[in-house]
Amino acid sequence: MTQLVWNGLFVGSFYALVALGYSMVYGIIKLLNFAHGDLYMLGAFAGFAILGAVGGVSSSMALPLLLAVLLATMVATGLAGVALERIAYRPLRRAPRLSLLITAVGASFALEYGMRAVAGADPRVYPVRLGGTSLEILGARLTVQQIVLIGVAVLLMAGLNLLVTRTREGRAMRAIALDPRTSALMGIDVNAVISRTFFIGSALAGAAGVMAGAYYGKIDFMMGFLIGLKAFTAAVIGGIGNIPGTMLGGLLLGLLESFGTFWLGGEWRDVFAFGVLILFLTVRPTGLLGERVTERV
Amino acid sequence: MRATPLKCFTSLAVLGLLVTGCGQGLLGDGGAGQATAEKDEPIVLGMLIPQSGSEAAIGPYMSNAAQLAIDEINAKGGVLGRRLELKTADDACDAQSAAAGANKLVTEGIDVSVGGYCSGATLPTLPIFGKAGIPMIIPAANSQELVDQKLKHVFLINGTGSQQAAAAEKWITKQGSKSVALMHDNTSYSKDIALRTQALLEAPGGAEAVITEAVTPKESDYSANITNVLAKKPDFVYWTGYFQEGGLIARQLRQAGYEDSIMVGDGSVSPKLVEIAGDEAAEGLYATMTQTPDTLQGAEGWIEAYQKKYSSEPGPYSNQAYDAVRLAAEAVTKAGATDGDKVIAALEAIDGFSMFSGPLKFTPEHTLANGGFQILVVKDDKFALQDALK
Amino acid sequence: MNGTTGPTGPAEPTGPAGTAGPAGATTTKVRRLGTDSPPSRASKLMQNRWAGLAGLLIALLAPFVNATPYALSVMTSAAIAVMLAAGLNIVVGYCGLLDLGYVAFFAVGAYTSGVLATRFDLPLPATIPAVLVATVIAGIVIGAPTLRLRSDYLAIVTLGFGEIIRITANNLDVTGGPSGIYGIPHLVESPVLFYYLTVVVVSLAVLGAARLGRSRLGRAWRFVREDEDAAEAMGVHTYRVKLAAYIAGAVWGGMAGVLFAAQLSAVSPGSFTFLSSALVLMAVVLGGMGSTPGVVVGAVVISILPEILRDLADYRFFLFGVLLIAFMILRPQGIWPARSKEVP
Repeated sequence: MTQLVWNGLFVGSFYALVALGYSMVYGIIKLLNFAHGDLYMLGAFAGFAILGAVGGVSSSMALPLLLAVLLATMVATGLAGVALERIAYRPLRRAPRLSLLITAVGASFALEYGMRAVAGADPRVYPVRLGGTSLEILGARLTVQQIVLIGVAVLLMAGLNLLVTRTREGRAMRAIALDPRTSALMGIDVNAVISRTFFIGSALAGAAGVMAGAYYGKIDFMMGFLIGLKAFTAAVIGGIGNIPGTMLGGLLLGLLESFGTFWLGGEWRDVFAFGVLILFLTVRPTGLLGERVTERV
Repeated sequence: MRATPLKCFTSLAVLGLLVTGCGQGLLGDGGAGQATAEKDEPIVLGMLIPQSGSEAAIGPYMSNAAQLAIDEINAKGGVLGRRLELKTADDACDAQSAAAGANKLVTEGIDVSVGGYCSGATLPTLPIFGKAGIPMIIPAANSQELVDQKLKHVFLINGTGSQQAAAAEKWITKQGSKSVALMHDNTSYSKDIALRTQALLEAPGGAEAVITEAVTPKESDYSANITNVLAKKPDFVYWTGYFQEGGLIARQLRQAGYEDSIMVGDGSVSPKLVEIAGDEAAEGLYATMTQTPDTLQGAEGWIEAYQKKYSSEPGPYSNQAYDAVRLAAEAVTKAGATDGDKVIAALEAIDGFSMFSGPLKFTPEHTLANGGFQILVVKDDKFALQDALK
Repeated sequence: MNGTTGPTGPAEPTGPAGTAGPAGATTTKVRRLGTDSPPSRASKLMQNRWAGLAGLLIALLAPFVNATPYALSVMTSAAIAVMLAAGLNIVVGYCGLLDLGYVAFFAVGAYTSGVLATRFDLPLPATIPAVLVATVIAGIVIGAPTLRLRSDYLAIVTLGFGEIIRITANNLDVTGGPSGIYGIPHLVESPVLFYYLTVVVVSLAVLGAARLGRSRLGRAWRFVREDEDAAEAMGVHTYRVKLAAYIAGAVWGGMAGVLFAAQLSAVSPGSFTFLSSALVLMAVVLGGMGSTPGVVVGAVVISILPEILRDLADYRFFLFGVLLIAFMILRPQGIWPARSKEVP
């Protein structure tokens, strides 16, 4: 049982990291950024390229090196996210909202198959692997590396939460989420804040990508697709646009999948996860922590 | 502003209507797919493979190997004095793309089809090639549905699920294993082998199948499935899917503390599996596999040739794709023509043609009489022969 | 329009400038059947008629330009895509409900007709009543509990239903499991005849959807789309109206599924992934939401563009993605947008 919980939490923390970017971008410009999962893929490949450039390292240096690569990748993916926003989304800021959905799907195709053209369709294997020294805690088997990865994920999420709730930058983001036009009138540089939001969201996805690459080892150009869908689901469960809610949503989805597999077997797992999600949303239509907002007439 | 929709539309309409050029309308010569058998024209082989979508990684393995065979044959003077040529089309593992792709190949006048990987995408192409009188040598897709219709132009050269399951069961029994966990990825190929193995294990005495677990392909974390599997305390795990998940599953099984035997199906036999699983987790891993270039006499240079040409390792179904081309060439040579019926007759008459899966002879069902499955083991990061199961 | 959880309907045209721009596009003649918002002058009606007729004419004449099996297969697929887009347009375009799992209905239609045709040896047309019943039920089952949700929650729930239907089809034996069902009899033997049959059916479907959009119910849909609360206040039973849109969309999708099964003779779960739903939605948005000629053009573009790019092999979907972005940046309101809102 504890093993199931642990499995769910570990997978869920990846979902949560990716979902955060989804949620932030949605919160601020109401865009379902379908290319977000592909930024996760981009992160994994960027980390792979950087590691390749660094060359071989002794395994004792693996963890510090990976942390350095993690940071570098976060910057790289963050910049890619900013570029994506500038090219594919900003020109459409005033267009009907679903038009952005199309450019998002277009960007997703372009990123996936662009990467395929560059790196090939064959999966790649990370040169540095986080092996597994396993421990038994409360009947669950887990590894030190898993704990480190969860620790990194929690740190990143806590930092993000601080940023959004405690800083001027965060206040500007929330203001734009509420009303971009008035925010602009109040002297907020809307474009700059949106760019930074994309930077942060994409950097988190990139971090998740490197972590997945280093832990699981295998990366390929389609790896972002499924997790993008999962992250979207997690963001909605938690209450889209709501940061703590999104984190909870990610963890909850991980747990749902873990228990769904246990109760119904692997082939019905997604049916179970989506079924619970649908039931849940019909009972509580604003997600876990989303607030009920009277939609203004 | 006013004219823009019109412009957009006209240009698209023109493009759309002229997808394959003019002069092929209802009133035209209507000459779709009738390849003229002139001496200087190449013999065209068509190959439907996934080049986009979730299975896109497989496509290049197959087309590369097919091209390798074609280059070798052309270097020896071609077939009937004519060159061979390969045309590929993307089926994206999706029925509609596959139908469009098959029709495209028919329109381009291919003589023999040597493609077909996803069963679901291959099924709708059977009547399309059939109507055009094009023989199909299907290298990878091997579900029972493909031959159930008893179509005379359809030949499967991949070992069938039941042959592989029989080999697996034989080895499991030989190992003296007691409780077997079967894992598949819920695609037709993989599920078929798992269920057939399960059925064979139901016979009293010997090993027992304790769990059949389906995983979702293309994910990274299979710990939930593995927890399920290990809860049943198996002493043998058989994974029937592909190498990408296979590598991860082997690794995660070991990480979860599983120490007994792991075996994988032929879709997982790839150097990439060892790479993904890592040396430690992969060591001692068994596989059910048809003969490989390493174990087949006279084919030692094959992997080197492939590596030299594409600077990557061959992957799943490279063998079969390579053989499909060679078999097509052989059949056309025997038939003395590219005429569909003659080639089909030649294929049916073939006896003992040497392929990776062993000497070829088709059953009346047009599947391999002998799957030629044997057991490999990973030794020093490489798949090597463990037991020929004779 | 509102605060943090997002506007009422995702499909609503944002801002006054949003859709007003192209409103003047009184349209020269172009594509296939149908009209959109109520014509205020007879001449407009005529022009739309002409546009529809011209479109139909092009579709009917196309095989005279190119009748290779490949071209016919691509054109038939395009016609089926048009029907799907017309159906989704009812849900997304008219009623403003974002549906990310629309192929669920397509799957229900294709599987119902395929299973009945192969297991009970029924001719395909005889399966149509069963398909109707199945899709209406599917529409109610999916719609009834979820339509009280708004915008993005509705989106994720429909996505979930789409996945549930696909996975269920993949897991059940009656649907043939992962390889699906095969050997579905053709409606007519000749691909050319089948193409013409498809064009006729699809034209009727597009025309029907357009008429529905101009009916009393259609006006209610638009009202709900523009402002659900105001609609409710004015006495529109919004829940029932939305459910009607959903069911109509389901029936259109299901019928397209029958054509699909007939065209391919085989149905497998791989055709009903989330990506397929996204592509249909793209057809609707790319063409212009709520605009009949728009979604027709959109669907044709979405299904034919990847075929045109086929020869680029590895770069095919890369270029497809880039073109989509370029398209939307150049014409954010769609290729052929609906004529603004209701006539004031």
